[in-house]
Amino acid sequence: MLQARPSTPAPRRLVSSLLVVLASALAAAQAVPDDADAILDAMVENLRGGGQTATLDMTVERDGTSTTYVLEMISDGTERSLTRVLAPPREAGQAFLVDGTDLFLYAPRLGRALRLPPSGRSDGFLGSDLSYDDLAGDEVRDDYVASVHERTDTQVVLSLVPREGAATPYGELRFTASVPDLAPLELTYFDQRDTPVKRLTLSDFDVLDDGRSVPTRFEVVDLTEGGGRTVATWRDATFGVTPPDACFTLQALERGCSW
Amino acid sequence: MPDDATRMNGAPAATPMHRGFGALVKLSWRSLFRQRRRTALLIAVVAYATLAILFFWGFMDGFLTSIFQGQARLVSAPVVITTSAHHQNPDPVHALPETAAFRQVALEHAAVRAVTPRLEMAGLLRSPYTSQGALLRGVDPEGERLLSDLPSVMGEGRYLEAPGEIVLGVDLAETLDVRVGERLAVDVSSLAGPTAVGLRVVGVIDSGIAIVDETTTLLHIDDARTLTGVTSATALSIDVAPGREAEVARALNERLPDEGRAYGILDQMGELATGLAAERITMIPIGLLFSLFAAIAVTSSLVVSVMERTREFGVMLSLGFDHRRLGLMVTLEAILGSLLGFAVGMILGYGLLVWMQQVNVLGPVFSTLYGDFLQGLALGTDIRATVRFEYTAYAAVTVALAALFAALTPARRVANLVPAEAMRASD
Repeated sequence: MLQARPSTPAPRRLVSSLLVVLASALAAAQAVPDDADAILDAMVENLRGGGQTATLDMTVERDGTSTTYVLEMISDGTERSLTRVLAPPREAGQAFLVDGTDLFLYAPRLGRALRLPPSGRSDGFLGSDLSYDDLAGDEVRDDYVASVHERTDTQVVLSLVPREGAATPYGELRFTASVPDLAPLELTYFDQRDTPVKRLTLSDFDVLDDGRSVPTRFEVVDLTEGGGRTVATWRDATFGVTPPDACFTLQALERGCSW
Repeated sequence: MPDDATRMNGAPAATPMHRGFGALVKLSWRSLFRQRRRTALLIAVVAYATLAILFFWGFMDGFLTSIFQGQARLVSAPVVITTSAHHQNPDPVHALPETAAFRQVALEHAAVRAVTPRLEMAGLLRSPYTSQGALLRGVDPEGERLLSDLPSVMGEGRYLEAPGEIVLGVDLAETLDVRVGERLAVDVSSLAGPTAVGLRVVGVIDSGIAIVDETTTLLHIDDARTLTGVTSATALSIDVAPGREAEVARALNERLPDEGRAYGILDQMGELATGLAAERITMIPIGLLFSLFAAIAVTSSLVVSVMERTREFGVMLSLGFDHRRLGLMVTLEAILGSLLGFAVGMILGYGLLVWMQQVNVLGPVFSTLYGDFLQGLALGTDIRATVRFEYTAYAAVTVALAALFAALTPARRVANLVPAEAMRASD
C-alpha cells in the first residue's frame, strides 16, 4: 500500500522557491558579462541576426505622406549585405551592396553601379530614416567607447561615447538591451547638447537555435523638428544561412543572386 | 613808350588782329575774363564733368580692385601654382606631384612674399541634424596667416591650429546647426577611397561676405592628406603685392617645372574676371557720355556768347580781322575755358579720389544699399577708390570734344558773319 507522501511544510516550499528564483537570477547575472564591450558585442550580434535572407516591408512616413517599399535582403551577418527593391514599381530594380566600408548603388535606369560615399552607410536609404549602420551595428562597435550607463534585473543600458576622431556627428548613443538575452531593444542617438535626435526601437524577436534573440521589427523615429518615421518588418526570414561570396559582388548587385 | 601799333621800325605794327597765333591766344584769354559769368559757368560745367569722370573711373576701378582683392585674400590667393589639369578640373587626383621644387622657384622671385600649400577636395559635412556638401580646404595654419585674411575675420572661437580641427563660415555652421566645440563628421572620396573623420569645430568665420560665410571650410592639411590619400598639395598659394599678380604669374611660368603653372587672381577667377573686365569696357560709353554732355554744355554756352557778341565780332571784322581767325579765336576760347574747367576738375577730382582712397567711404554705403545684389562676389565693406594717371586722358576727352564742337558750331557761325549786318545787331 502506498502511503501518502507527507506534504512539504509551507516554510520549506517557500525556501525552495526562493532558492529557484535566486538560482535563476544568479544564472541570468552570470549570462550577462560585466564588460561593456562584451555586452555591446553580444547586442550587435543579436541585432545582426547572423547570415540571413529575408523580405522586408518598409514604410516611410514623412511630411504627411506614407510610402511602402518591399525589399529583398541577403546578409552574411558580418559586414556584407545585398538589398534589392521589389516594390513600388517606380523604385523596383534598385539595389544596394554593402561590403565593409564600401557602398554601391545599382540604378536600373542608368544600367550601372555607382559607388556611394561613406556617409551613405549612415544616411537613410530610399528616403527613409533607416541606415545600413542601423541594421549592421558596425558603427556603434567601431566608433564608440562603451560603458554601462544603467543596469537592472531586466535591462542594461550602455552609454556609447564617440572615440576621438570618430566620423560621427553624435554626442552619445544609449543602447538598451533586455537581460539576460541581451536582445537589443532601443538605440537612442543624442546630439552634442544632450538632446535625443533619433531613436531606433527593436521588437518582435525571433529566438534562434543558438539562443540569440533577433529583432524582426525596426522602427526609426527622427526626433528632430519635422522628422519622419520608418518601420521595417521582416517576413519570410531565414536565419542561420551562409550566402556564397558571389552574392556580394558587383555582378550580383546588377543581376541578383540566388543559390 | 610806343604802343603796339607803332613799335616796329616806325611802320604801322600789326594789331593783335593781324599778329600770330600767340596773340590770338591772348585775345581769347582776355575775352574769357571779359565775360566772367559765362566763363564761370563754362568752367563749372567742365570741372563738374571732369570730376564726375575721375570719380566714375576711380570708383569703378576701386570697386573691381576690391572684388579682386577680396577674392585673392578671402576666397583664393593672389597667385597659385597648380597643375593645368587641376586648374581645369579641381579634383585631388590632379594634385601637384610634389611641392618642394615649385616652392623653391616661387621663393626665388623677389616679389613673392609667402608660399603655403593647400589641398582642396569635395566632401560631405554631417551634423546630427543635416548634411551639406562643401569644398574643403586643407591648409597649413601658420602659412595661411601670411596670405589669407580669413584668420582676421573670426566671428567666434579661434583660427585653425592643429589636426583634428575644422573652421567653418558662419552661415555654413548655421545651416549645419553646429557650434564651436562640437564635432562634425567629414566624408571624402578620393585617392584613398571613401574615408571619413570626425573634426571638432574650433572657430567660425564671420566676414560679412556671403560667398565666404556660406562656403568656407578649413581643416588642417594633415587631415586633408589623410582623407584624400594625396601626399603633396593641390596648389601652392603665393602672396604678392596687390596689382602684381599677373606679372608674377607670368614670370614664374617661365621658370616652373613642366608639371605646374602659375595663375594670377584674374586667371583663377576665370569667367567671373572676364565678365567684370567686360563690364568695365561697357562702362566706357557712360564715361564718354559725361564728356559729351559737358562738351555740349560748353558749346551751347559759346553759341549764346557768340550771339551776344555779334556786334563786337562785326566791329572786329570791319577792322580787318578775317573770318578764319575770328572762328579760331572762338574755338580757342572754348579750349581755354575748357582747360580751366579741366584743371579745376582735376584738382577737385583727384583730391576726392585720394581722400576716398584713404578713407573707406564707399564700403559701408555700398554694402548697405547693394549687399544682397552683390552676394555672389567676395566684396567686403572696405571699398576704396583707385587713383590712376590714365583718368586724366579719359577726362581730357571733354576738352577735345568741346574744341571740336566749338569749331563745328559757334566758330562756323562767326565765320559766316557779314560785318555790316553784324555791326547792326543789338547787344
